[in-house]
Amino acid sequence: MQFDSFTFIVFFAIVLAGYNLLRGWSPRKWWLLAASYVFYAAWNPPFLLLLLGSSTLDWWVAQRIDAAQSPRSRKHWVVLTLLVNLGVLGFFKYNRFLLDNFADLLALTGAHYVPANFDIVLPIGISFYTFHSLSYCLDIYRRKFKPTTSWRDYALYVGFFPQLVAGPITRFTQMREQIETPRSTTGAGLGLGLSLLVLGLFEKSVLADSVFAPVADAFFTSVAGAGPGAAWGGVLAFSGQIFCDFAGYSTCAIGAALALGFDLPINFRYPYAAVGFSDFWRRWHISLSTWLRDYLYISMGGNRRGEARTYRNLMLTMLIGGLWHGAAWTFVAWGGLHGLYLVVERGVREHLWPKDWKAPGVLRFAYGLLTLLLVALAWVWFRAPDFSSGIGVYRDLFALTSTWALDAAQKLALVVFFAVVAVHWLMRERNLRQICVKLPAPLLGLVLGVLLAMIVLSPGDNHAFIYFQF
Amino acid sequence: MTRQRWRWVWPLAVLIAAAIVVVVEFHWRTLGYQPNIRDSSQLWSIQRDRVYSTNKTPLVLLGASRIEFGIDTKLLAKLLPNYQPVMLAQNAHYPLAVLRDLADDADFRGVVICDIESNGLAETYRDMQQPLVDYYHKQWSPSWHLHRLLLTLWQKHAVVADPQLGVVETVLRLIAGRAPPRPDYVRFFADRSGDIDYTQTDVAAARRHFDELVTKGQVPHAVATPDRWFAGLAPVYAWAQRIQARGGEVIFYRSPTSGILPKAEAIMYPPAQYWDRFTATVPAPVVDAAVIPQLSAFKEPDDSHLDYRDKPAYTRALVDVLISRGLVIQLTK
Repeated sequence: MQFDSFTFIVFFAIVLAGYNLLRGWSPRKWWLLAASYVFYAAWNPPFLLLLLGSSTLDWWVAQRIDAAQSPRSRKHWVVLTLLVNLGVLGFFKYNRFLLDNFADLLALTGAHYVPANFDIVLPIGISFYTFHSLSYCLDIYRRKFKPTTSWRDYALYVGFFPQLVAGPITRFTQMREQIETPRSTTGAGLGLGLSLLVLGLFEKSVLADSVFAPVADAFFTSVAGAGPGAAWGGVLAFSGQIFCDFAGYSTCAIGAALALGFDLPINFRYPYAAVGFSDFWRRWHISLSTWLRDYLYISMGGNRRGEARTYRNLMLTMLIGGLWHGAAWTFVAWGGLHGLYLVVERGVREHLWPKDWKAPGVLRFAYGLLTLLLVALAWVWFRAPDFSSGIGVYRDLFALTSTWALDAAQKLALVVFFAVVAVHWLMRERNLRQICVKLPAPLLGLVLGVLLAMIVLSPGDNHAFIYFQF
Repeated sequence: MTRQRWRWVWPLAVLIAAAIVVVVEFHWRTLGYQPNIRDSSQLWSIQRDRVYSTNKTPLVLLGASRIEFGIDTKLLAKLLPNYQPVMLAQNAHYPLAVLRDLADDADFRGVVICDIESNGLAETYRDMQQPLVDYYHKQWSPSWHLHRLLLTLWQKHAVVADPQLGVVETVLRLIAGRAPPRPDYVRFFADRSGDIDYTQTDVAAARRHFDELVTKGQVPHAVATPDRWFAGLAPVYAWAQRIQARGGEVIFYRSPTSGILPKAEAIMYPPAQYWDRFTATVPAPVVDAAVIPQLSAFKEPDDSHLDYRDKPAYTRALVDVLISRGLVIQLTK
């Protein structure tokens, strides 16, 4: 079920009403869990069994890890959960990728192998709930907290519908108290939550789907020889689309949770106003970047084993992060490019940057623009269907021709993209919730009314959120 | 923010949003636009779900625009009360992918009326409707069903539900200096049938296009040689036979066309080398409007499609033909 569907309006109204009509925290949690499973089953009912199985297994294994006395035994249990979770993820998400690459490898030796086409459907949100489960088991293994004995509480942590299929990837420490402590809808939570829902839907339906997607899709489906104007239009439109689509989903998720009395962590903090790449990753898909940092980068040694190992760990983390997004080498290239950005930035900071020197504002702004440019150029690999198309895009971007003519859709997409960037710069040190609190009520009402009207006046096909495929 | 403040904010927001939407709706209506239902893979899927009816025999209409806009489905249901019409035709797309899907569906045992001509039988065009089939089997769910029912309700009543009149589309037209689209001359219904009102469109221009093709000798060539085209029919025959083997039936049907269009088709696909070979060998009944006087008597304003005013009479005539040939059973009239 998508947030931008009529079904969700009906679903959410029923969930909200039932949640507040029920007395007692336990029935309310059961209600939320049932609602979350209905939400998930709306896509493909049989995959609910996978979610149930995965949640139950990890809940049980986490207790075995905690109960195990010897380090060896603890390790066995954690390896088991890693193998099962990553095995299931690999089966559904990477089977084709692995088989195709195996066939390519065999081809190098002269052997001919055509992998069977299993036509396996990817369960929606599997990458997200797998990371939820893994973080829980790994934290239990690291003795960060005691496991919950309540299956329902754990299942609700993994399956809580606002964040189930596309994040934010919450940690159990962020949700435990909220799940264990009774709560209900408050007037302020409902008001702010609905406001965030409207803002998220505006980003998704109006900006991502109506303004950016047509331009990005038109360009990336027929790249060859489009000329630099269309290429920059297409690449920047996709940069706008991916942000508005994903941040829109996260904003909706946070809003829906808030209306139910839950506080999910922020997932995007105006990333297109980032000054540098480490700053970008502190602002973009924060719940994933912190997950990769805590469970991958630090597990590999982080920056504790010398400079070369630090760079290696950074690069490996970003390459795996790229592969997490999609089973294709283009995603690995995207991750690799970001890894390279981070390595170079760190190297410059360690060796060339004067100690204790604070860069003037102009220089910081210029570096921010350079960051944006390089981030946009990296998005090419995120969107291009294959390497030859990606290279074709770069050829078009830097072609020495005079084909800079833009059509109306491209012009609008560029204007809106730069408006989004301007908003990010204006908001980079601010907090949206605080602004909602400070804004005079009539002005806030006006803004929300206009956003709501724009959503209603932007009918079109329901485009699946881009991150659903991950 | 206090609860009190939100009591102001949200009613105000809803009021402002409603006022904007009402003003925009009024604006489009004063320019002559009317609410209309928009076709989609979801609307198609709602119909696809209906091919399993057990209390009535599903009567599935396949094809492109001619059958989609040429058959009065409500009247058809009245004339043949033991059948349930299901419109699976898709404008501008040949239907054989859907026929294949129904043949592959072991639970389908209904009657298919498949509107097709020589060009549509060519292998080249076999997958045109496959995206609809893929959507139905891979993405369609009860959740989308409910969404589409509510969207249809919204589209039935609101002009602003038309994507062409959306705010971004309107801004783009203003930037490009383009005029708004002409109000629809096709009225579309929730059951995916539609009415074409030819008094609302430039019929002469549509006919001129075909006239020029013929008079200037620019009729395109057939997409396959006669033998290759004929060899490609084997799977189509097999699909029909599989449906028949389950107790269903497939009726290949060719909608009437008039004016220059049949001539153009005869130049592209000489009947003796194409259509006649098909009708002589297909293991299923064929109803060809061109050779049935009560059907070919109807005139298509653009040479290709019936005006909605002729739909009821044409539907009655077609039902009479189907009954007289024993292809459908009429219990009561």
